[in-house]
Amino acid sequence: MTPSAAIAGVGVTDQGKLPGRTNLSLAVEAFKRAVEDAGLRKEDIDGLLTEPGTTEFGWALDYLRLGEALGINPSFTGTMMQGGATAINLVQMAALAVDAGMATYVACVFGDAPRTGQAQRSSDQAHGVGEDNWEVWGANGAIAWSALSASRHMALYGTTPEQLGAVAVAARAHASRNPAAIMREPITLEDHQASRWIVEPLRLLDCCLISDGGACVIVTTEERARALRRPPVRIAGMGQAHTAQKLEHPDWWYGPHQRLAVSRAYESAGITSDDVQVAQLYDNFTISVVLWAEHCGFCAVGEGGAFVADGRIGPGGALPVNTHGGHLSAAHPEGWLTLIEGVVQVRGDGGDRQVPGAEVCLVTGRGMLLNCAGALVLTPS
Amino acid sequence: MSERAPKPIPVVHDGNRPFWDGARAHRLVVQQCSACGHLRYPIAAVCPQCLSDATEWTALSGCGTVFARAVYHRAFGANPVADVPYVLAIVQLEEGPRMISDIVDAGPEDVDVGTPVEVVFDLVSDDITVPRFCVREDQR
Repeated sequence: MTPSAAIAGVGVTDQGKLPGRTNLSLAVEAFKRAVEDAGLRKEDIDGLLTEPGTTEFGWALDYLRLGEALGINPSFTGTMMQGGATAINLVQMAALAVDAGMATYVACVFGDAPRTGQAQRSSDQAHGVGEDNWEVWGANGAIAWSALSASRHMALYGTTPEQLGAVAVAARAHASRNPAAIMREPITLEDHQASRWIVEPLRLLDCCLISDGGACVIVTTEERARALRRPPVRIAGMGQAHTAQKLEHPDWWYGPHQRLAVSRAYESAGITSDDVQVAQLYDNFTISVVLWAEHCGFCAVGEGGAFVADGRIGPGGALPVNTHGGHLSAAHPEGWLTLIEGVVQVRGDGGDRQVPGAEVCLVTGRGMLLNCAGALVLTPS
Repeated sequence: MSERAPKPIPVVHDGNRPFWDGARAHRLVVQQCSACGHLRYPIAAVCPQCLSDATEWTALSGCGTVFARAVYHRAFGANPVADVPYVLAIVQLEEGPRMISDIVDAGPEDVDVGTPVEVVFDLVSDDITVPRFCVREDQR
């Protein structure tokens, strides 16, 4: 049922404050690193799928720009913007392409310099809020939607600020074992509670980092991947779902598409939530992980707050989540490191942060105005 | 008046003009599909239920409850809608549609999920009046 596909290479640039870098230059560098990781040559890549930088949402022609810069004339190509779900959903598209024989090695690429780069527009402007005029009422920033969602989850289910804090503490604990993470100094619940309000109920330490960086994932068939340099990571299951209607859909705030994406990924992989050994769950805010715990079936609806508390998702916990430190502490390339950390864990490359024996990894992404969701189940090949 | 930047004004075009005309007349109007009766918001050219483009604009009571609520402690962007802290809410209108709005004349302690609210009309410029919401006092 699931296409035969595997991840054969990954590439990550430095992440953080990278003055002088552009979206394009980061994408190019990530591409080169991934090709090398896979033991391929640029000439082997005949599929090119891209996510444009967050300050260039409207750049539907990003694939052309990158193709020209790389000197690649692909057999299969395109550009997608689904926010934090893009990385996963591009990999899904790549899997379909290689399984159908439309391409042999597909590079999925992202480069973004929102922090220091020469952006033509701010990320908020690129979000295109003008269509609904919501800035007229002060609904500014991606944080608006997660803050509103968090408030309702707290009102309905009694989720507490301390439970949000537990997510932040766990992410930082994981990051302290990740030499590439931007924020590595451990924090406590007290630190979280003392951090300043951004948009209630979210504080500074509830929010993801903003960072420059690039990433690339190379997808091919399992058979081809086995012949290459690195242990292949099998795309054992995949699913996606979307709630495009923000106000008309009664449950949009809660993310019903997230549950659907995950359950479809489980079903196509032939697993259940019980089989997941490590999870990389898109975390632009702490509340995101609380909601994912429910959507992934790790706990019942409304019990995500209790699930993430007491160290369960931290290093050595029963279900380690975001073992690289996530967007909260590692870096924020829009879900790409969430995906790549899944690959790292399944390859056994996690070093100090390796979850022992991790063979079934769930990776999730969510994007735009809580609209898009994607999930992958990754296993050794 | 303070030196604060002017409040943001909407992009008005033929598709949404009746909403803004209604607001200037202190009416909260939304589109009702002439084919299936669905009340829709956000403003859209076709009905998201049946895809008909036959539509009428109908006035709502302006009464609703807070469905979700966030409190801005930082103003993002050049034209803040209000001084911080201000409350942003998803408002569940009693007729069914939901709207996004700041809650005026209210501090964070006055507004929670479930607080009854009603529409008020904010004269932002000569051409633009913006419907916003305030806490409804007569609830029991």
